[in-house]
Amino acid sequence: MEEWVVNTFIRGLALGTPLLWAALGEIYAERSGVVNLGVEGMMILGAFSAFALAQTTANPLLGLLIAAGAGAAAALLHAFVTITLRANQYVSGLALTMLGLGLSALLGRRWEGLPLLDTLPEVSAFTYLSLLLAVLLWFVLYHTRWGIVIRSAGEAPAAVDTLGVNVALVRYLAVIFGGALAGVGGGFLSVAYRPSWTEGMTNGLGWIAIAIAIFASWDPLRAVAGAFLFGALFHLSFRLQTWVAPEPLQMMPFAFTIVVLALTARRGGRAQGAPAALGLPYVRGER
Amino acid sequence: MMRVGPFEIERRPDPPLTWILGVSLLAILAAMAMSGVIFWSYGVDPLRAYGVIIRGTLFNAKALPEVVRFAIPMLLAGVGLVLAFRALFWNIGAEGQILAGATAATWVALFSPVPDALKLPMMFIAGFVGGALWGFIPALLKLRLAVNDVISTLMMNYIALYLVSWLVHGPWKGPEMRGFAFTNEFPPAAQIPLIAGTRIHWITLVLGIALALGVAFVLARTRLGFEIRVQGESSDAARYAGIDPMRTTLLVMLFAGGAAGLAGVGEVGGIHHRLLDPNQISLGFGYAAIIVAWLARGSPVAAILTSLFLGFIFTSGDVMKVALQMPARVTDVFNGLILFWLIGSERLLFYRVRWAPGRAVREPLPVGGAGADPGPPGISGGDQ
Amino acid sequence: MRWMKTWLVVALILAFATAGPGLAQTKLKVGFIYVGPIGDYGWTHAHNQARLIAEKTLPIETLYVESVPEAQVEPFIDKLIQQGSKVVLTTSFGFMDGTLAMAKRYPNILFGHASGFKRNPNMFTYMADFYQIYYLNGLMAGALTKTGKVAYVGAFPIPEVKRHLGAFALGVRAVNPKATVNVRWLFAWFDPAKAKEATEALIAEGADVFAFTEDSPTVVQVAAKKGLPSFSHYSPMQRYAPQGVVSGQLVHWERIYVDFLSKVLAGKYNATNLQNVDYWWLLAEKAAEVGGEFGVPINPVWVSKLQAAKVNTKEFGTLSVYDLVMRRLAQMSKTPVAFDPFTGPIRDRKGVLRVPAGHTMTVLELTTMEWAAPGIVGPWPKEP
Repeated sequence: MEEWVVNTFIRGLALGTPLLWAALGEIYAERSGVVNLGVEGMMILGAFSAFALAQTTANPLLGLLIAAGAGAAAALLHAFVTITLRANQYVSGLALTMLGLGLSALLGRRWEGLPLLDTLPEVSAFTYLSLLLAVLLWFVLYHTRWGIVIRSAGEAPAAVDTLGVNVALVRYLAVIFGGALAGVGGGFLSVAYRPSWTEGMTNGLGWIAIAIAIFASWDPLRAVAGAFLFGALFHLSFRLQTWVAPEPLQMMPFAFTIVVLALTARRGGRAQGAPAALGLPYVRGER
Repeated sequence: MMRVGPFEIERRPDPPLTWILGVSLLAILAAMAMSGVIFWSYGVDPLRAYGVIIRGTLFNAKALPEVVRFAIPMLLAGVGLVLAFRALFWNIGAEGQILAGATAATWVALFSPVPDALKLPMMFIAGFVGGALWGFIPALLKLRLAVNDVISTLMMNYIALYLVSWLVHGPWKGPEMRGFAFTNEFPPAAQIPLIAGTRIHWITLVLGIALALGVAFVLARTRLGFEIRVQGESSDAARYAGIDPMRTTLLVMLFAGGAAGLAGVGEVGGIHHRLLDPNQISLGFGYAAIIVAWLARGSPVAAILTSLFLGFIFTSGDVMKVALQMPARVTDVFNGLILFWLIGSERLLFYRVRWAPGRAVREPLPVGGAGADPGPPGISGGDQ
Repeated sequence: MRWMKTWLVVALILAFATAGPGLAQTKLKVGFIYVGPIGDYGWTHAHNQARLIAEKTLPIETLYVESVPEAQVEPFIDKLIQQGSKVVLTTSFGFMDGTLAMAKRYPNILFGHASGFKRNPNMFTYMADFYQIYYLNGLMAGALTKTGKVAYVGAFPIPEVKRHLGAFALGVRAVNPKATVNVRWLFAWFDPAKAKEATEALIAEGADVFAFTEDSPTVVQVAAKKGLPSFSHYSPMQRYAPQGVVSGQLVHWERIYVDFLSKVLAGKYNATNLQNVDYWWLLAEKAAEVGGEFGVPINPVWVSKLQAAKVNTKEFGTLSVYDLVMRRLAQMSKTPVAFDPFTGPIRDRKGVLRVPAGHTMTVLELTTMEWAAPGIVGPWPKEP
């Protein structure tokens, strides 16, 4: 029994870490009012660039750094298109997913089939750093002026605008920051969780990260629970195969998400704490 | 109005169709110019590449029907999404609804006692009901329990995927395919007829066009359409007008799911003739339909055009893979670029640039007020 | 209708006749259709390596398309033929019906389909199978397990994987009659995250030797991190865990491709005589190789351990597992083979007699095998 608890917990941490980074990034972007469905694209770009650099320099941490840059660059494109050009955020995110999957595969051909000998352990100081990051991001979001500004940009952009806050700039920064975190999440996959590079290796985890952000009601601390819970459930869906048929088990993490959301929901009112201006482009002077 | 040098820039809420088409064409050209860099980096002359793509799709008797074949499922799912998005329901779940429809149709085709003559109509009805049910659940969850629609529809996709996977590996696995994960082939009466020499299952195509026109009519001319439009523009206004958001959203999602379900019927009944691995049933049509719906800018009739455009994108990718011997993922880059340019150029649509060097310069710059940006109708909302 | 056909033929002849100079010297064009990306480090990667080797050894020219959805095989075959392919090879079971339909539509083009069972006068089938190698891997795994639990991470519960698992389990039990083979199913050919968590689950359960079917080196890497031995699958994965990989399965599709295509070039095979051509090539034909790296049947790191393990057999008396593996390898590399793992009497894990004494399973029985060999522990969808 003890072994089950400990092991499931560790597996939850391992798969939860990359999901947590990406989910935290999405939370910041969405809190500022911008939905970014391109998490999968940003993660895979992060995974590729991290692997490429780690393979070349034998330094996985350096890989994570460049992954942050790659994710941020991809997010910048999304920010420009959705904030400056005010294009539809959902479609732009889908486009970013395609572009990321495509570009990383084309650029990554050379690195396919190469082993990575210097890897990052999957549960390590980095895991605790991730937890710390979540706490920090939670604190910033709820207890600092920056946090108020970010949240207001997503709740009442017109109101903060009249207070002299540059809504577009805030959103830009939040989206880019979110992209950097998603990039690190992807990089963690290719240098720690499964140290190798194959095109499409994120295989839908970006979408799970988006789900976790919403599941967590856009709260960084709850995202910790969401990410690790998903990781643990995902692992359990294989552990339990000895007793339960595999197909319903594989459905479990997804069905579980819906059930939990339904059970914890407030009746009526806004969907669990969604930023009021989420998905809406902000135009000065427009209400 | 704004002046930039000798130009006058002016807003216009209702751009003419020619302008929309013109700007979109320019965007596509720009995207193609950008992807030229990729062609060039693979040692393919970009100009030759464009020629090959155009010839291989639009001027090729075998490939042109494939454009339509791809457009069919995206049209059906897309029309549903146009409606859902206009009612501000963020349905990312068309993919799952397609699978649900395909599953229901398979049950009718293989396991129901329905007589042959009624097989096809019953498959379409069952597929609609299956898809509608899959769309209804997240709608109900949103309305009654405020469960976010993006996440619930997304999760429902995965659930549908594993449901189909379980069926084809377990109870529905047919002996015909020697243990591989396929059902048996549908009997001839359950196969949707094709236009000879193509893979266009025309009944589904006709259904798609009829639905597009029908939805356009409902939106423009009926009380329900009015309610959906009002709800899409402002939930406050809807409340004042005494509109029950519960009723409209549920109806919209029943329809959107059902339409996607029909797309699923078309895929299994017209193309595969069996149920198989879920990732092979729909080639991401449910996600591509989001793009179809968005490009259609809230108009169900325009979805006919935009689904054909997406069909063209799908086939042109195939041409690139074969005729230019490029990696499959090139098409992702190409599609991503086209999309970015299309949505990026959208703002242009709502402005008019006029050459007017002689006019007075001293007009005060507007600080908001007069120029409320109209944005594309229907698709501007988020999560309320 | 006949006059139309005549005209079509005339037009075609004219088209080819005017296709320009150099027609006489053009090499035989062979088109390949892959189901996954060539970089998957598994099935498709191996087919692509084989294509490159065939192109080097024979005076042929090749074309390929990767990541082709199963139902899209027909339009892709059309395109490959338009590009001048005279031979089209499709490399996934799901391509079977589409390939057959196209073989009937293009009677002068030669088709080949991997892993299927439907043929035509112009369509042959081929398969390089691993079951013998899995048996050899099983012998080694049985000797190396300390906990008595050997792990197998399976992609899909289909006959191909069930057959490999069965052979593996028979090998394990031949050396270690008390050991079990614990199974986990991924329901994916490529999914690193699933492969990883399945491996972790098996480790937690106490398994200490690993074999698998999935197109990435994930299982090998996870096992190596815990210092546990594993068997590489499909591609040379020893480089991912130089200390951890004991042996594995390697494929040489080029053996089949070169054999078939050189017979086509020599005029022995043409569009009328392929009805009964079915390659079922194994160790003896050198289409499959044992090892985690080409030319290394057993990783030297593990040789001494295998030499130290003794086993008592009816046929050879007491000998080391290493010697047993080498003897069995030699027996199975002969034509006709002197040993087949699926020789009766074999009961399944429920005790039902599946292979009577003195009978060796036929190819048909092997390719439709659904039962679970004794010693296998875990879910077994569609178990008879």
